[in-house]
Amino acid sequence: MVEPSAATIVRAPAMARRTTRGLDAATLGTLPFLLFLLGWALLPYVVDYPPYMLPSIGTVLDYARESILDGSLPRDILASLARLAIGFVIGMGLAIPLGLAIALNRYVADLCRPVLSFLQAIAGIAWVPLTIIWFGMGNGSVIFVIANTIFFSALYNTVIGVQSIPLALHRAVRSHGGRGIGLLSNLILPGAMVQILLGIRTSVAYGWRALVASEMIAGSNGLGYMTMEAVQWQRTEKIILGMIVIGLLWVIMDRAVFTVIERRTVGRWGLLQR
Amino acid sequence: MSTSAVLRVALPRARPRRRFGVAARGFAGVLILLAAWQISVPLVGLSPYFYPAPTDVLAAFVALVRKGILPVYLADSVMRYLTGLVCGAGLGIGFGVLIGMSRKASLALSPLFKFLFAIVEVAWIPIFVVWFGYGIETIVLALIYVVFFPVLYNTLLGVRTAPQILVNAVRSLGASRLQVLRLVILPGALPGIITGLRLGAGFAFRGLVFAEMVAAKTGIGYLIFEGAQAQQTSRTIVGMIVMGLLWLAIDQFYLRPIERATIQRWGLTIDAAERT
Repeated sequence: MVEPSAATIVRAPAMARRTTRGLDAATLGTLPFLLFLLGWALLPYVVDYPPYMLPSIGTVLDYARESILDGSLPRDILASLARLAIGFVIGMGLAIPLGLAIALNRYVADLCRPVLSFLQAIAGIAWVPLTIIWFGMGNGSVIFVIANTIFFSALYNTVIGVQSIPLALHRAVRSHGGRGIGLLSNLILPGAMVQILLGIRTSVAYGWRALVASEMIAGSNGLGYMTMEAVQWQRTEKIILGMIVIGLLWVIMDRAVFTVIERRTVGRWGLLQR
Repeated sequence: MSTSAVLRVALPRARPRRRFGVAARGFAGVLILLAAWQISVPLVGLSPYFYPAPTDVLAAFVALVRKGILPVYLADSVMRYLTGLVCGAGLGIGFGVLIGMSRKASLALSPLFKFLFAIVEVAWIPIFVVWFGYGIETIVLALIYVVFFPVLYNTLLGVRTAPQILVNAVRSLGASRLQVLRLVILPGALPGIITGLRLGAGFAFRGLVFAEMVAAKTGIGYLIFEGAQAQQTSRTIVGMIVMGLLWLAIDQFYLRPIERATIQRWGLTIDAAERT
């Protein structure tokens, strides 16, 4: 038998400790989920309630498979995501020019501020009943609400973005004769872009809520419509599946899209303030 | 006369004039919007059901106040909002401190909370309706849910950023865990808690209006929704305006004073950072 070297003696316990700690973290983290599922599975044996109140895990999984196979779930997901994308483009497209105007011109800012802060206070979803009258149930109403919600969030970020450009840079560009379009394209837009890009995540988070909420009231398809419509028919497995999909989609969007956008653009330029 | 005296005289005079200019321009913006709205009504020529004029909205407002509907709805909304806010904030602060101070609690609860956070409160409302029916339980639960997460995460941030040196100092003087909490952690986390409360208050307000549209028979959200259903569009707009004013009032008389009393005094406000 070979004498273990000092290094291995030191390393071995440390590694052992680390793996057990890692294991602890994993088990501790999954424990609440397991308890949750266990409680869900055992509840019918403990409390007496009609099965529509809380379907079994099996029922939800069966419904998930069924709705994927017949294409209704993918269709609803695509419809919701398409609306989010359109609302996002409209909201950002309106907010960035207006935000630049507000940040660059005091008169525009003074004129618009009370009106805009009041309209912002009327949270996006409150427009739904009115948009149903104007555009009917369906796409028009939902997209209006998403665009409205994203508009105000993006507007705020654009204004903050322009205002956070260091005064020194401003003076430097101007003292070299930068004005008008040159000033805008060389300083204001790139400078504000950091905050605008960082704000996308928050904007879409608000937009996502608005999407689900407005689809519940004014949708004719999509995830929100799917979950709210199921209430009338007491198809609780449909509601629970909808909730899970809404949660999963948000996690995927957050991880796969926004984190990547941040890393690719803001992070690479070394402008990330963390 | 010293320069400081001149400044002292000059400053108050200069400031109101600028402020007056800002207010006047802002007021002009509101007036332009209202005038454009009123003038556009005959030009568009649509029925008041589709496009009511500001005068219609004013008439609806007066009628709603006279019948006593609006005050009752407003009181209901405010009561639900405060209940949800207080309960959600209490839970958020409690769990935030727990997760921030205990490694085990953090490991056990963080993944669960992350998962639940992704399911926005809006998505819970249908199942709350199935479980609790249309009414205050559903609304308050949704509000608690929506306030909980921003308060939790900002409290956690506040607790985690409490200086370890201070914790060590207090502990080496023989403080118990509870005393560390009271003397170091909570005061240190307070700015975070306030930020969480601000965010939570905003989210909850939106949540309140939506929940009332779907799951209530009174309240401002219900007024907005019901007006449109009954083809009384001017009522819907009264509801929207009252809602906007209510939020501005909450911001002005509740959130700003808290911020002024706590964060600004400690020089931690964002405004101060922006000014530099």
